[in-house]
Amino acid sequence: MACPVESAVMKSTVLVAPVTALEFLGEDFLLTGEGPVLSVYSLQASPKEYASLNVLHNYRIHGIRPSRKHQFGERPFNNLISSESSVLANNKEDIIVFGGKGVRLVSFNTGGRCLKLIGPVLELQDWILDIHWLKKQPHPLLGISLAHNAVLLLDAESGNVLSFYSCVETCLLYSALMIGPNWDSLVLVGGTVFNQLVLWRPTGTKPDGKSQVERRLLGHTGVIFSLCYLQKSGWLASASDDRSVRLWSVGTLGGDAGCGEESPTCLRVLYGHQARVFCVRLASNRVFSAGEDGACLLWEWGGEGKVGHTFRGHRSGGVRALAVSEESIGCKEGWMATGGADGGVRIWRVAEEKKDCEETQTETQLDLGFKGQGCPKVVRLVGEGELNTILVCTDQGEVYLSQGDSWDVIWQGGAEFQSYCVMEITSIQVQNSDCIVWVCAVGNLNGGVQVFLVGQPGVGVLLRAGEGKVHSVLWAKGLFEGSWSWCLLASGSEGLVYRWTIKVTEDESGLHMQEETLLPFLLPPCAKRWLTAAVTLPKRKGLYLCGDRRGSLLLYNDTEENVRRNEGRTDLEKKETENKQSDHGSPLSPISTLYGVHGKQGVTSVCEYQDLCYSTGRDGSVRILTVEESVLKVRRVQRACRGMEWIEKVLFLGSDGPEVREKLLNEGIEKRTIDQGSASIAETRFVMVGFHSVHFIIWDPHRQEKLLSVACGGGHRSWAYKHPIYADTDPRAHTLRQGTLVFIKHGAVMASHSLASTETDVNGLTVKEGLHGRGISCVCHLGSLTKTGQFSELWEVFVTGGEDTTVGVLAISAKSGNVKVLSVLTDHISNVRALAAIRRRETNEKGGDDDTTSVCSLVFSAGGRAQLQCYRLLIRLDEQQGQPVCQVTQIAGHRLDEQWERKRNRHKTVKMDPETRYMSMSVVHNGTECVLLAMGCSDGAVRLFSVTESSSSVDMLWECFYHQRCVLSVATYKLEDSLDRKLLLLFSATTDGCISVWDLTAVLNSKASVSWQGPSAPFFSIPVHQSGVNALTISPRREMRQMEENVISLASGGDDGQLSLMHIKIDQKKQENGGVSLQLLAHWSVPLAHSSPLTGLCLLSPTLLVTTSPDQRLCLWSMNSDGLHPLKVLFSHTADAAGLWAWFGQEGGAWVVVCGQGLQLFQLTERKMDELHETVNRNIKEGERKKVMFPHHVSRTKH
Amino acid sequence: MGRSSKDKRDIYYRLAKEEGWRARSAFKLLQLDEEFNLFKGVSRAVDLCAAPGSWSQVLSRKLRGKDKSEEVKIVAVDLQAMAPLPGVTQIQGDITKISTAQEIIQHFEGQSADLVVCDGAPDVTGLHDVDEYIQAQLLLAALNITTHVLKPGGNFVAKIFRGKDVTLLYSQLKIFFSAVTCAKPRSSRNSSIEAFVVCQNYSPPEGYVPNMSNPLLDHSYDVDFNQLEGPNRIIVPFLACGDLSAFDSDRTYPLQLDSSKEYQYLPPTQPPIRPPYQQACQLRKNNLLAKEDSASGALDDSLSALDLNQSPDTNTVTPGTSD
Repeated sequence: MACPVESAVMKSTVLVAPVTALEFLGEDFLLTGEGPVLSVYSLQASPKEYASLNVLHNYRIHGIRPSRKHQFGERPFNNLISSESSVLANNKEDIIVFGGKGVRLVSFNTGGRCLKLIGPVLELQDWILDIHWLKKQPHPLLGISLAHNAVLLLDAESGNVLSFYSCVETCLLYSALMIGPNWDSLVLVGGTVFNQLVLWRPTGTKPDGKSQVERRLLGHTGVIFSLCYLQKSGWLASASDDRSVRLWSVGTLGGDAGCGEESPTCLRVLYGHQARVFCVRLASNRVFSAGEDGACLLWEWGGEGKVGHTFRGHRSGGVRALAVSEESIGCKEGWMATGGADGGVRIWRVAEEKKDCEETQTETQLDLGFKGQGCPKVVRLVGEGELNTILVCTDQGEVYLSQGDSWDVIWQGGAEFQSYCVMEITSIQVQNSDCIVWVCAVGNLNGGVQVFLVGQPGVGVLLRAGEGKVHSVLWAKGLFEGSWSWCLLASGSEGLVYRWTIKVTEDESGLHMQEETLLPFLLPPCAKRWLTAAVTLPKRKGLYLCGDRRGSLLLYNDTEENVRRNEGRTDLEKKETENKQSDHGSPLSPISTLYGVHGKQGVTSVCEYQDLCYSTGRDGSVRILTVEESVLKVRRVQRACRGMEWIEKVLFLGSDGPEVREKLLNEGIEKRTIDQGSASIAETRFVMVGFHSVHFIIWDPHRQEKLLSVACGGGHRSWAYKHPIYADTDPRAHTLRQGTLVFIKHGAVMASHSLASTETDVNGLTVKEGLHGRGISCVCHLGSLTKTGQFSELWEVFVTGGEDTTVGVLAISAKSGNVKVLSVLTDHISNVRALAAIRRRETNEKGGDDDTTSVCSLVFSAGGRAQLQCYRLLIRLDEQQGQPVCQVTQIAGHRLDEQWERKRNRHKTVKMDPETRYMSMSVVHNGTECVLLAMGCSDGAVRLFSVTESSSSVDMLWECFYHQRCVLSVATYKLEDSLDRKLLLLFSATTDGCISVWDLTAVLNSKASVSWQGPSAPFFSIPVHQSGVNALTISPRREMRQMEENVISLASGGDDGQLSLMHIKIDQKKQENGGVSLQLLAHWSVPLAHSSPLTGLCLLSPTLLVTTSPDQRLCLWSMNSDGLHPLKVLFSHTADAAGLWAWFGQEGGAWVVVCGQGLQLFQLTERKMDELHETVNRNIKEGERKKVMFPHHVSRTKH
Repeated sequence: MGRSSKDKRDIYYRLAKEEGWRARSAFKLLQLDEEFNLFKGVSRAVDLCAAPGSWSQVLSRKLRGKDKSEEVKIVAVDLQAMAPLPGVTQIQGDITKISTAQEIIQHFEGQSADLVVCDGAPDVTGLHDVDEYIQAQLLLAALNITTHVLKPGGNFVAKIFRGKDVTLLYSQLKIFFSAVTCAKPRSSRNSSIEAFVVCQNYSPPEGYVPNMSNPLLDHSYDVDFNQLEGPNRIIVPFLACGDLSAFDSDRTYPLQLDSSKEYQYLPPTQPPIRPPYQQACQLRKNNLLAKEDSASGALDDSLSALDLNQSPDTNTVTPGTSD
């Protein structure tokens, strides 16, 4: 494969970094700043990116100032604005972009939708906090405020400083804002390092050439991160480290008004954020604030400043940028945008301010005024969309239907149904008709089940489910005798589940109901022996998936063959069931059982969606199940957020609620059974519905956020959820509008919103998806996906582990810059610090190794709290759309302190064991049965684990505390040659800079699966670094191996910034059990390869090495027989770089991915192709920067 | 997580409590001294950004020795007041003010200092470029006041973040000192970008006149940007300091360190002095933070885990060390 050497060219192709600047252009466009990259998104229909440009080189964008905004500043609420935004169709817009010490002018053509750079990056001598457009023609004139409380007037075209003023108080500012129509009457508001706001004018009183502070606003107890001023109301808002937002009445600032009111007052102190507040924006009568807690709060002016709405759309790390469109500033319906530390951008539609907001906002939970006999026990929704009505069953055995404000009794069960009844409803399609009717089934204490039509309660049947209590009634829709019909399941006594098919027919005399008895199911024996959930599996004829109160999942087979087999069972078994046998026939036993998997609190629901089964339970988890050859298997367990221990069901995103989905299912089912080969493998995005203490919650596990929260009082209540109506949104946009919850609380029927209301809250549109909000500690490349024989996108697939305790599966297309989060794994309870992956052949695969349309890997993740997880990932390109999709199978999980977690009285005792973190991980041996993993641990141990995929088990084979120091990195070297010599070496490196080598060869022959008597000390040890060794990599030296010699290259990177390379010869004694000895052939080091800790290191080839560090440089080194040589240095925008991965691409060249505070993908190509381009590039690069000198700033450091 | 979890996570935090230091950072100065002999012959020392005072504590214990020498003069400067320390004179002042420099000199009876130390860290924003810039400004402010008070040949020690522009700081420090070293005490975590610049032998450029009114701003890459993406960046030598046999700050230790001594929880020597989030936390504790009436509901558990339990020793905030 082509190997880029000295001539290599590195360039950045994809960057995901915190979004640090956002600005709207009218109501049509959104500008975002991510790292140095400015992007424009269109907001029409479905938001999409139009243009993207690297504007600021090594600076991060902190502010975007369209020139048009400045005109608004003068006359903010002029009627001209709205007409102007429509004229925008084909206009050029000048935009100033700044960050750090850099400023650049960019123009955006709204018609051609392209961004163009105008002039070079102007580099100032101080940090820029705010830029204010003063004039557009003939030269763009800018007012610039600097971090040392100074302002300057800059001609953006020539780069000349025309004027410079500094405040008498030269302290550092964290934020600044300039207000005023022209330079002579500007007012500067600065948020000082001393938590004060100072107001001053450049042209104000100046005794010694410096401007005096004219106003001082005191009150914040933390530094001020963000400021906003609204001329119309004379408000100034400040957001602070002290977690508050303060609203000040300052009057008119700038122009003739000078610094405004003589003694400004603090109007509001708004405490509502859970952490620091980073951004604040003002609208008339409203305040928007956003911060580290990931929330954007909309504060209404009324009621002493109350939160009118909370917008949550970002993962941990919080919101870093906030923008409000002009319409929203005017409190009309408009846009609001939030940008996260996770690199995500969300836009939200903000509703017009309600005139009588105080009235409507006070009571959001509605009592639906149920007036009937007895207490409501079960509540259900009947009908679709606008026609939703509520059906309630009471403890008096009566069923009520709400009609507007009145509640009508539609059915009375009489004495048999009083004191106890259970109810469930379903919609049934009338035979040979398009008509849909709602059917209700009510079970009583004596085995009676009444089934009737909700619309015509007179039409119905009374069924018998044995003699005892009917514990539950359930409906399942399935194929019976080739046609769709509904099965009613009633759970009676002694574990018998009685079943009927129910049909509704229509003739001249009206609607009729027909039932047909089916064989009952028998539940496994246990104390609470009744059914809680059931579904038929349409693609597998006759199969039922059921869940019971004991937490078991059961699979029943209803096909004729099985019935016959059931009848032909041995006499012994037959006798046992004979007693229970009624006219229903001998009951069916489950063909596959997962006993008690959902815990003792039981299963709450089961469902089937796109050939995967999902079960939920009161153990706080969702299980994703597959049925393989009539055996039920758990593929993955997903937990909800902490404290949400009661999950009721899952809802699938991108679908329109169950009713609509069923219709689609009807149409789609035939088609799907035909193309079984292309079965959907990916889990559909779903949300979890359940209870979190006293709240009803809808939790999105992919985004890790709450979509709905209703204080209903908690579990043990009947509820029904009204799906929101999708009118204009694209179902594939994966958004879920808030619906309405109907529930029973204190004997009343309540609703979270008015049912009639069509107003729904949009959970924001995702303009750009975010990754881990906090640092990404590790990254691992799994492979590449591309459609064969076609000119299509190439997707690179990665797993990432983060400080947010999640593992992400990503696909990145370098060509389009698309970054897709395929899956988020949330099993870790602490930092994920290390990842390892092994390529696996797909089990039932058509293609071989050259199959480029799928990647199958065994992935290991390890981290804090000594936790290890193992997954099998299958990533494939979706047949239809060519988009990558991911299937996750959970293999195993392990924690060192599992025994401690199981201890009952652990809250009373102090855990004396160290809180071990796994620092690094290496695959030692990839066997057919089990995989051996070596782990570097923070408690000073090196540990060896074996993971067996078939039995889903993890066992610790060996641990050794030889180091007595934190083991930062591990690496392995394995050799199996033709002479049947085997060698397995483990390299471990610690915080004292030593690298040690262990001989683990014996474990390859060891049969032990639980423990292994490994070495008690390494056989070789060498000090290499001054302090911690963060990265370690090994490669065999090819040219040497031909000489029958084992020589390896060992490269290491340290906290001291040093890069070291050793050539080590391995001598293995010929005799059996002979030891190994190492001989250091050569040792080179570059002491200051990086100016900060070297944290990422990867060997691209035996002669090419890539390194990175928090100094934000990506370095390429060549390794020759005479040592290490630097080839290339590139500035990286990933702050706090923690990991790196490099590989050769399929289309030549190589790739490097760096992770830290974000993620960046680099491409390495050979110069030859790009030589010309590169030289041109360099010339441009030099011409692209211009230093701006401050006129009277005398550098005192001349020498 | 109990109260002992921090003891478990951070051995030096625990040791600091056991030995009565106000913050774990005391060990950093002790280990720097082990390597550089910083305290030798020092009778006038200045601690800038001193609160909560652990470095002043080290200076007080180490310089004054057993005989509590009155010859030794230590001045601690901070905006905040801190609990008094024996032999340490406190100045509550701003290090960017000339008056503060004058006050220091006054305490030294007109003489210059032998050693200036600064362990200050600014309020961080979490955005690395901003934090690095602000930390650099704090260091330059400390350097600026140091040029007013340090005697030629004297030493200067300050906290530094080894971020993307650290080489620019090095080049600036090298103008004033003949030897500049980047030192990492073993008590400072491996995973943190925190380090210390040890600047020895103060020798300002000829004709240099200390000036407080203009901060040392010009701190940028050359126009040819060789420093940005070229090979010849100015990097000062790196030195890890502290005894290898000392405790490992990255290792997680069991609570029972020594079989002869039973583990006992000790409260922190000094709680944080009025942190900015104090009032917000109080409101939160009493459920008084404003929230939407229905939808947002009660406090989110996952959020409460987010940065609310900030480390009590605010002086030693080290980005990148969070677990």
